Amino acid sequence: MPDDKIIELKNIRKICGDKKILDIDNFAVSKNKFNFIIGGNGSGKTSLLNILCLVDQDYQGQLYYKGQKINEDQQNLKLRRKFSVIWQDPYLYRGDVFYNIALPLKLRDINQNLISKKVKEMAARLEIQDLLEQSAHTLSGGEKQKTSIARALITEPEILFVDEATTNLDEESIQFFNSHFADLVTDEMTVVMVSHDRRQIKRLADYITLLQRGKVKTSKAVDNFNFQLFGAGIEAPIAEIV
Amino acid sequence: MDYYTDAIFRAFELIITLDSEVIQIVTTSLKISISSTFIASIISIPLAIVIARNKFKTKKFINIILNTLLSLPTVVVGIFVYSLISRQGIIGELDLLFTPTGIIFGQVLLIIPLITALIRNVIFSMDEKLYKTAVSMGASRRQKFKLLISEARYGIIGAVIAGFGRVLGEIGVSMMIGGNIKGVTRTITTAMSLETNKGRFAFALALGIILLSLSFLINLITYYLQEGKNYARR
Repeated sequence: MPDDKIIELKNIRKICGDKKILDIDNFAVSKNKFNFIIGGNGSGKTSLLNILCLVDQDYQGQLYYKGQKINEDQQNLKLRRKFSVIWQDPYLYRGDVFYNIALPLKLRDINQNLISKKVKEMAARLEIQDLLEQSAHTLSGGEKQKTSIARALITEPEILFVDEATTNLDEESIQFFNSHFADLVTDEMTVVMVSHDRRQIKRLADYITLLQRGKVKTSKAVDNFNFQLFGAGIEAPIAEIV
Repeated sequence: MDYYTDAIFRAFELIITLDSEVIQIVTTSLKISISSTFIASIISIPLAIVIARNKFKTKKFINIILNTLLSLPTVVVGIFVYSLISRQGIIGELDLLFTPTGIIFGQVLLIIPLITALIRNVIFSMDEKLYKTAVSMGASRRQKFKLLISEARYGIIGAVIAGFGRVLGEIGVSMMIGGNIKGVTRTITTAMSLETNKGRFAFALALGIILLSLSFLINLITYYLQEGKNYARR
């Protein structure tokens, strides 16, 4: 990859019981780009994302952030606060939508007035301003995901991780996500996205990494990517993507 | 039949007129029970989280011990604590025997396993995504703990209330450690036992009605916290 590498993985091995989940010699995330991770079910996409976003620290190997090795024994709080994650099936905490969107800022001890201003702005961008006082546990799937997107973006993360964010959504919500997502992400943001959605890949990808049985089969810029390889578990027919 | 109706009538009269002896016994009981529940909760909540969330070699063994202690008879705790705080006991010099502090000590030991086991189950059944999301939002270790407590609060309150109900209604520890001293260590249950033996059935019945009402109130609060009409909205 010709661009700056913001995160690099070397010799990553993750084993669950007797099964090798990940076996990656080299993997890099390009700065300020949309980095897609694709692959079939059980190829290790989410496991890789969990390691990249520092949620999973139970693995062997080395992780580098801007060339500096990250010690997996440490909490890495400072670094974790530069990242945000949008999960496939988001967990919303007890309380209303406002509380959930504001939570990452509260954890960073941000001033209450600023929190209130930012939450309202972010809710308006995601068209959920009318839901702010609603209990998070009464939301529909699409509304939950919008809330979780707002929660992830409110900290203006340096790296945004997205784990199959549209898999459980209805068509209307998927369309909203696909048409608004690129506008919500700033130019300074690096995005690492696990996705099955051919429209997202077609529209957003700068780099694509294909995983197969826990290994990197190929990792290339979208223009050089051999879409014939999509046969390895991705739902999109080749002709529709290229 | 008159025996019963007279006793019930007299019991309600004692309650309605706020009989000073009844009030004193109920106050002593509540003070001791609230203190022991508070102390046991402070110990049990972090202990339950450690047991539920951490992997360690003796975890299975500790869980078996914890489950065994759930059905611990109060008299067994009474004998054990008595052996510790009596004059010849390891901590005999603290003079805890026949004091409210002695009862609180015994009751704390009695309900730690109960509150710990109930909270352990609550924490254990919580969605794993809660922790993952907290980490991904940038929560520190302390903030993760606070978020966990906040998410599990209804279950934790339910466990604490169950512990309170257990100590409020127990007699073994109170009788053996407290000695049923009037105005000092006489609780609802020990007084009921004594007054019945003395033939003051109406007085014992009045205390029984109060104990039952408190128990009903505890269960009502627990129900509304865990199953109430707003449950789905939380």
